[in-house]
Formats: sequence, C-alpha cells, structure tokens
Amino acid sequence: MLENFSFRTIVEYLPLFGHGFLATLWLSIVSFAGALAVGIILCAMNLQRSRLANVPAKIYIDAIRATPLLAQLYFLYFGLPRLGIVLPELVVGILALSLNSGAYIAEIIRAGILSISRGQVEAGIASGMTYMQRMRLVVLPQAFRVTIPPLLGQAIVLVKDSALLSLISVSELTRAGQLLASDRFMPAEGFITTAACYLILYYGLKGLAALSGRWLGQQSVRSRT
Amino acid sequence: MIWQQFQSLIGSYPLALRGLGMTVALSLISLVVGTLVGFALGILRTGGNQLISRAIGVWVDLIRGTPFLVQIFLIFFILPELGIELDAFTAGIIALSNLAACFICEIVAAGIRAVPTGQVEAALASGLARWQRMRQVVLPQAMRMSLPPLVGQYVLLIKDSSVVSAIGLTDLTRVGWLVVQRVPNGLLVFAIVGIGYFVVCYPLILLARRLESRMGAAHGEVQL
Amino acid sequence: MIEFRGVNKWFGALHVLKDITLNVEPREVVVVCGPSGSGKSTLIRCVNGLESTKDGDLVVDGHRVGDPATDMTELRAEVGFVFQSFNLYPHKTALENVTLAPIHVRKIARSAAEAAGREMLARVGLADKFNAYPSELSGGQQQRVAIARCLCMRPKIMLFDEPTSALDPEMISEVLDVMVSVAEEGMTMMVVTHEMGFARKVAQRVVFMDAGAIVESGTPEEFFSNPKTDRSRAFLSKILRH
Ligand SMILES: Nc1ncnc2c1ncn2[C@@H]1O[C@H](COP(=O)(O)OP(=O)(O)O)[C@@H](O)[C@H]1O
Ligand SMILES: [Mg+2]
Repeated sequence: MLENFSFRTIVEYLPLFGHGFLATLWLSIVSFAGALAVGIILCAMNLQRSRLANVPAKIYIDAIRATPLLAQLYFLYFGLPRLGIVLPELVVGILALSLNSGAYIAEIIRAGILSISRGQVEAGIASGMTYMQRMRLVVLPQAFRVTIPPLLGQAIVLVKDSALLSLISVSELTRAGQLLASDRFMPAEGFITTAACYLILYYGLKGLAALSGRWLGQQSVRSRT
Repeated sequence: MIWQQFQSLIGSYPLALRGLGMTVALSLISLVVGTLVGFALGILRTGGNQLISRAIGVWVDLIRGTPFLVQIFLIFFILPELGIELDAFTAGIIALSNLAACFICEIVAAGIRAVPTGQVEAALASGLARWQRMRQVVLPQAMRMSLPPLVGQYVLLIKDSSVVSAIGLTDLTRVGWLVVQRVPNGLLVFAIVGIGYFVVCYPLILLARRLESRMGAAHGEVQL
Repeated sequence: MIEFRGVNKWFGALHVLKDITLNVEPREVVVVCGPSGSGKSTLIRCVNGLESTKDGDLVVDGHRVGDPATDMTELRAEVGFVFQSFNLYPHKTALENVTLAPIHVRKIARSAAEAAGREMLARVGLADKFNAYPSELSGGQQQRVAIARCLCMRPKIMLFDEPTSALDPEMISEVLDVMVSVAEEGMTMMVVTHEMGFARKVAQRVVFMDAGAIVESGTPEEFFSNPKTDRSRAFLSKILRH
C-alpha cells in the first residue's frame, strides 16, 4: 500500500491539517499558560513552612506524577458532569493539560529556586532586604534563568501530550489524522502527516531552547565579567 | 445510590484485575526489551562510528518529537499494510519498547559521556580491549549516573502504557473506560484507576528520589 | 627500546612536537622536563599511542606505533603509564584496580592475579589497603596503587607523566621512593617530572623540552651544574628557587 501512498489525498486534507495544527498550537499555548499559573501556586505552597500549605501541594504533585495523564483526562471528562459541571471537550482538555503540567512545572521552579546558593540569600539578608525583597530581587531573577531550559522541555512534553485530547474528540492534529485514516482508509497518509506536523512544533521548540541557551550563556558571561 | 454503584464496581473486580495484569505485563515486557535495546543503542551512539551514531540520533529525535499516541497508530495500522500481521498486544509492546529504548539510549549515552576521559585512557593504557574497557570501566561508572533517570523513565513507561488503550487493549485505563459506561460515576471509577497506577508508580518515584539524593551526597566524595 | 626519529605532531595549527629524535635504551631512566605547555605530556603519550603522531618514526619495543599492522592493545600491555591525576577506577577497590588488566588482558587466573596483586600492593606499602576504594585513600596512596597497577602487568617500559604534581608536598616522597625502587630494579623508564632529586638519584639522562622541541639533553650532573642554553638556565633558576 505504501507504493500507492497518496500525496493527492494529503493535499486534499491539507486545510484540515492546517486547522488541526493551529488548534494544537493555541490549545498548547493556553494550557501552558494555565500550567505556569498552577505550577507557581503549587510551588509557592510547597515552599511554605506551614504544613497546611505544603502538604496538600506535595500530595497533589505526587498524585499527578504517579498517574497517567489519560486517566486524569478521563477523570475530568467523565467526572465533572457528575458534579453538575458540563464543559466543552476542549475546555476539559485544556484543564487536564494545565493541571497535569502544572505539577511538573512546580517541581522545575522549586529546583530552580533551591539551586540559588545559600550565599546569595545571605548576601541579601546582610544588606537588610526583607523576605519579599530577597525573593524578588535576588532569588527569582536567578531562578528564572535556570528554569528556562527545563520549562521549554516541559512545553515539548505538553504539545505531545495534547494528542490525547483526540481521544475525547477535541479536533486537533491527531484527530485530523484519525479522520483521514478512517474516512479514506488511509492510515499511513493520515498519521505520517500528523507526525510530520508535530515534528515541526518539536523542532521549533527545540530551536527556541537552543536559542535561549545561547542567550542565557551570553547573559551569564556578561554578569560574570 | 453511591452504595449501589460501589456494589456494581465491586462486581467488576475480575475485569479490573485483568486490566491491572495487562498494564503490568505491557510495562514489564517493554521495560526489559527497552532497557536491553536502549543500552545497546546508547553504547553504539557513543561508539566510534559516526554514521551509526547519527542514524540513532535521528531516530531518537523522531520518537522524542512525536506523540506516543501517533506512534501507536502508525505501528498498529501501517505495519499490517506492509504485510506484517500483528495484534494490538504486539503493537503495544513494539511501540512501548521502542519508546523506552530511545529514551534509555539517551540516558545511557549521557552517562557514558560523563565518565572522565582519564578513566578511558587508564583502561587503554593497561591494554584492555574496546569491549573490556566498556564492560569493566565505562559502563559501571555510567550506570551510577544513569540509575536515577532510568528509574524515572520506568515510571513514564508505566504511565505511557495507558495510551495503548486507544487501540483497544484492555489495560487498567481501558477497564475504567468500560466500567464508566455502566456505572456513570467518572470521579469514583477513575479515582480507583488512578490508585491502581499510584500503587505501582509511587514506590518507583520514591526510589528514584532516594537514588538521586544519594548520588548528590556521593558527589563530593568521589572527586578524582 | 623507545626510538623517536623525526617525529612531528600538530593539534590543529599548533605544532606541539617539532622533529623529535630521541633514543631510550633498555634499562635506561630518562627524565623529561621543561616549562608547562612545552609538549612533555604529548611526547610520552605518543609512546603508548594515547596520542597519534603525524610523521616520522616511533618504534617501541620493536613495534612501530601508528602502523596499522601493530596491535596497539598488545603493545600497551607491555607499557605501563602513570597519570598525573592517578585515574584509578573509582568503582573498584585497590586490589580490583591492580588485578583488572592481569585478569582480562593477560588472562591470568583470578586467584593467581590476586596473590600477585596483594604482593605488589604490599611492596608499595599498602598491605593494609587491599579493600579500600580510591575515595578512601590519600593522593599519595592512590598514586602508589596506580604504580602497582602498572607493575602487576610486568611491563617492559614504564611512563610517568608528572606523577607527583597533584600531590600535597608531604606525600611526594612516598611516591618517589617507590619510583626509585622500580628504577633500581632495571625498568626502562621515561619520567616527566620536575623532581630534580629523583633525576640526580636514578636518571641516566635529562631531556629539556621547550616549545615542542628537545633543546638540551645530557646527564643530570651536566644539566644541573652546567646548563648550556639560556632557556634551560632560566627554567632551572625558576624551579630551584622553589
Ligand atoms: N587535546 C589537545 N588539543 C589541543 N591542544 C592540546 C591538546 N593537548 C595539549 N594541547 C596543547 O599542546 C601543548 C602541549 O601540551 P602538553 O603536552 O600537555 O604540555 P606539557 O605536558 O609540557 O605541559 C599545549 O600548548 C597544550 O595547550
Ligand atoms: Mg603535562
């Protein structure tokens, strides 16, 4: 069948893939923004001394990390209506991605903050800064730079994870491939095109990571001299 | 009503056990195959042959750059059209093993590259042949570095095995999906499914953390 | 035993070894010295093929280094190399470090290799450290294990690349003492070092290198009391002041 691989059909379905590509792109962006918010809140809770704040955060993070995204997605998809909350599939999907990636991002930010040396914090204390000032002026700007590469790594994971939304019929890239596969019985055409589209996003994000790495490298050289 | 649902759920326990068995079987088989293939690929990746190393690099990148769901569809729907008949279980094993092998390849290669050149030179200078250098000097040290991410990778593998439910394999996630059609309480059903995964994954997560902190502690000591 | 004939080597555009000609006789001890970056390490690393040469001939124990027909693994088994940074295997005990190559390269039975290994470790003064890991040993002890590791292969030649430069001063003599005893047993040795006491005691010849070339070569007495070139005089005044 690969000898009659039909580029014609792919061209015919190109608008559908274009639509799917944009859908995956923007739902990933929205989910990533949501995940950042979730991650920052979780991390802030996790770093509190009070057990009332940090224990729930730890439990949440471990629960997310120890269970598959697909089960989490079905939990929301089949579970929310039970609570009387009926949301469009797309919203459920974005919610699941945000809540899932948020747990990983919380850990990334935490590692970034903990990587700031004790000496830096003590220098802040010595110059009479308050806790908030130290966080804002000393710790966070430095932590931010360390977290950029792993955050971009998490963005790559999120884009790939978003393919699971096709299983609750969100129309995005993988769904476009499934449609071509089932309408025309052309799974090769459908899924190879889908894979190619994801690779574009992957190499785009990878390029961004390389670029940011070089930029951060320059920054650190400048700050060292 | 919740009580009735509970009873109905308890009635589905043989199905749930079958699902858990399927998840464990999928994970375990592909863990073993993926680790063996991943180590071989990682060694070849850092070996002298540029062509082989490049080829592996490209393949790993393709796998890392595409969603696992798409990989499963590609294997399950396209291999039969190439004349390779396979059932869903075999397709799932192939897809999962390949995924694990690619990630483990990179972990192992990173571990090998982190072994100081002085170690290889010492082994070379004493006349050890290529495979002996690898086996006796490089790999044991690379393993130490690679162990925590390797365990972390096994957790990802178990979780990724849930995706093969998409081609109809009755694993834990698929069982949840089937049950929820009869017992319309998604929160309860998928909470139980989640607990099933948690029980398997969480000890591994703890193990990975312990290995990692132990390695961090050892870091200061073994400074040559 | 070791014969350089017009050997050259480049690292990219950098000409590190310039037309080196040098002959080391069996049982001879040659000390190589010179300023940092002059190519001393590169010179002795060529002898067991850790670096490749560009042109000229390098013949070690009758085998041409770099010749495809030469089995380098076999040659390296006959040539011991002691590194500045020891390079002991951190995941193996002292005894495992010294028996690894005898077992896998020489194919000696484990029990025999271990007996020989214990004997050799005892000889370098580490009879109580058989089961210690490198991280549990001092620098001087590690370097002595490294020397024992080479000796266990019963090599024909030993090469030393600044074996005491990474050591705290109080540990230098324990390593030098072992090297002296090896030299006195008639080992062919090339030693990169600035330890002039060692050179005076056992070396037949001192070779002075600068900027990739051998500038001067003579007996220790000649070299230390009457250096012939400005550069060697400047070098000697610098190291002797310390
Ligand atoms: N692997 C290498 N690549 C490029 N340059 C090197 C390499 N190894 C050594 N060099 C350069 O070659 C010169 C000689 O080095 P080396 O033999 O280590 O000198 P020495 O041991 O006398 O200090 C130095 O300038 C050094 O920077
Ligand atoms: Mg040197």
